[in-house]
Amino acid sequence: MALLRALRMGLGVALCLSAISCGGGGGGGGTTTPPPPPPTVNTTSVIVDQGPATGNGSVNTLFTSVKVCVPGSTASCQTIDHIQVDTGSYGLRLLAPVLTVTLPVETLSNGNSLVECTQFVDGYSWGPVALADLTIAGETAKSLPVQVIGDSRFTTVPSTCSGTLTQEDTVATFGANGILGVGPFQLDCGNCDTVANGLYYACAAATNCVETLVPTAMQVPNPVTLFAADNNGIIIDLPTVAPTGAVTVSGQLIFGIDTQSNNQSGTQTVLAVDGNAELLMTFNGQTLANSFIDSGSNGIYFADSRIATCTTTGLTTFYCPGNPLSLGLSIQGANGVMVNNLVFTVGNLETMLNANPTFNVLPELAGTLPAGNAGSFDYGLAFFYGKRVAVAVEGNKTAVGTGPYIAF
Amino acid sequence: MPLIRSGEIRIAALSGALLIASLGPRIACATLGEAEMSVQSDVARLNASIKSSQDRAGYRVHEIQLPGGTMLREFVAPDGNVFAVAWNGPTKPDLRQVLGKHFDTYVSAPKQKFADRRHVNFQQGDLVVQAGGHMRALSGRAYLASAIPAGVNLGDLH
Repeated sequence: MALLRALRMGLGVALCLSAISCGGGGGGGGTTTPPPPPPTVNTTSVIVDQGPATGNGSVNTLFTSVKVCVPGSTASCQTIDHIQVDTGSYGLRLLAPVLTVTLPVETLSNGNSLVECTQFVDGYSWGPVALADLTIAGETAKSLPVQVIGDSRFTTVPSTCSGTLTQEDTVATFGANGILGVGPFQLDCGNCDTVANGLYYACAAATNCVETLVPTAMQVPNPVTLFAADNNGIIIDLPTVAPTGAVTVSGQLIFGIDTQSNNQSGTQTVLAVDGNAELLMTFNGQTLANSFIDSGSNGIYFADSRIATCTTTGLTTFYCPGNPLSLGLSIQGANGVMVNNLVFTVGNLETMLNANPTFNVLPELAGTLPAGNAGSFDYGLAFFYGKRVAVAVEGNKTAVGTGPYIAF
Repeated sequence: MPLIRSGEIRIAALSGALLIASLGPRIACATLGEAEMSVQSDVARLNASIKSSQDRAGYRVHEIQLPGGTMLREFVAPDGNVFAVAWNGPTKPDLRQVLGKHFDTYVSAPKQKFADRRHVNFQQGDLVVQAGGHMRALSGRAYLASAIPAGVNLGDLH
């Protein structure tokens, strides 16, 4: 009894404190108007560090943690760390080897299981689409389609999927325990309800999978779009880091744009992105129409034959100038808005690795792209250091525009 | 700068397309480093269609439209062999088909340092594979360095 009373008192104190902190005092005049409910907690921490324990180390890779539950369950749940935060993809994907809960696989109307061949530039990840209740901070997406990569229930990869380069189905080959794709589109495919393009497969059995069309609601979406609130985009807020880098850097992932007091756009510059989620960048006299800003790229990647590349084996596609080089870049949105002469610095990767081999944050790491190919400038996570960057999802309004856009 | 007049280009392209169209889907092998007839087997295996065949200075390029929206280009040297392939679109083509025997060279090589799933910049012997982009917009190319015809600008192979 004494214990119970103490608990009750403690609860009372806690309630008082929360009421005070919410500014909902209300006076003591016997009125019955309840204080407004506290706003949903829409902020979670993010970190750039060495990556998951079973990985091979990582650089300039942003991670957070997520909680997933079997739909409707409050017991069959798991919190997973080192989920990469990626503005260059869409959807939550979890590596089966770290998953301890069994998520139910989505079933097509013909009874077949839905399995996905997610395509990245250098490879693919194979695994079923399953349902989970996702919680991050105070935000929840119920019955969210997610991909379970490397699931032991579906180990036979169709040749049309395995023909898309290297298999990335383990934590070591993937480089994370999962990925949270929160780019400016709603879906990871876009037209897979009408066109089979090699992403989604219907599996009558684990060894019998054929390409299939998929109703939109069953495809893997940007998880933010299924939150009850704060669902029009995200903000990544990272502190400035020293030019030479750091072991780690921590910041915030904020859900929603202009939905709460902590995610206001203010005077941010809005750059609309095109149908490929891309921008037009101008660099060294070249107009690069397929350029993008991407938290999932670990360097600043562009073509510039003037800059020396590294000579160390395995690093020859990265830049190693004699001294750090400051260069200018202009970015134009699909809405015509320009950001002129943004200065970035290219450092010497060999020098960085020799001076600070434990650093996972290297803001001046830059790598080559083939000259002329694709006309692209890929500004990776370094862009986000020292900035507050908003990514608004297509079709969603904020106080300063309608997605898809990136603002900073 | 064209070496031949546009009318001749059209005739050459047409005859190239007719040549290819006349090759049945029975031809099974394909692709990078293979004869031009392998273009047709790629088209058949990928359920694709040739959108255009165009003669450029020093080589011919076949544009192959994949059903999912991706464009595959195969570059044929005057010796009749495919010396380069390039792709861009929402997904990659089946590169085991398109790269032929060179596919295994790429996938069996050790992972690049600082791999981030966004970049390929690979060279082993004669084979070069380069790719970039992000989800829903993937591009890349592969070529055999020694097979590039004289005077061809690498920047045009995309």
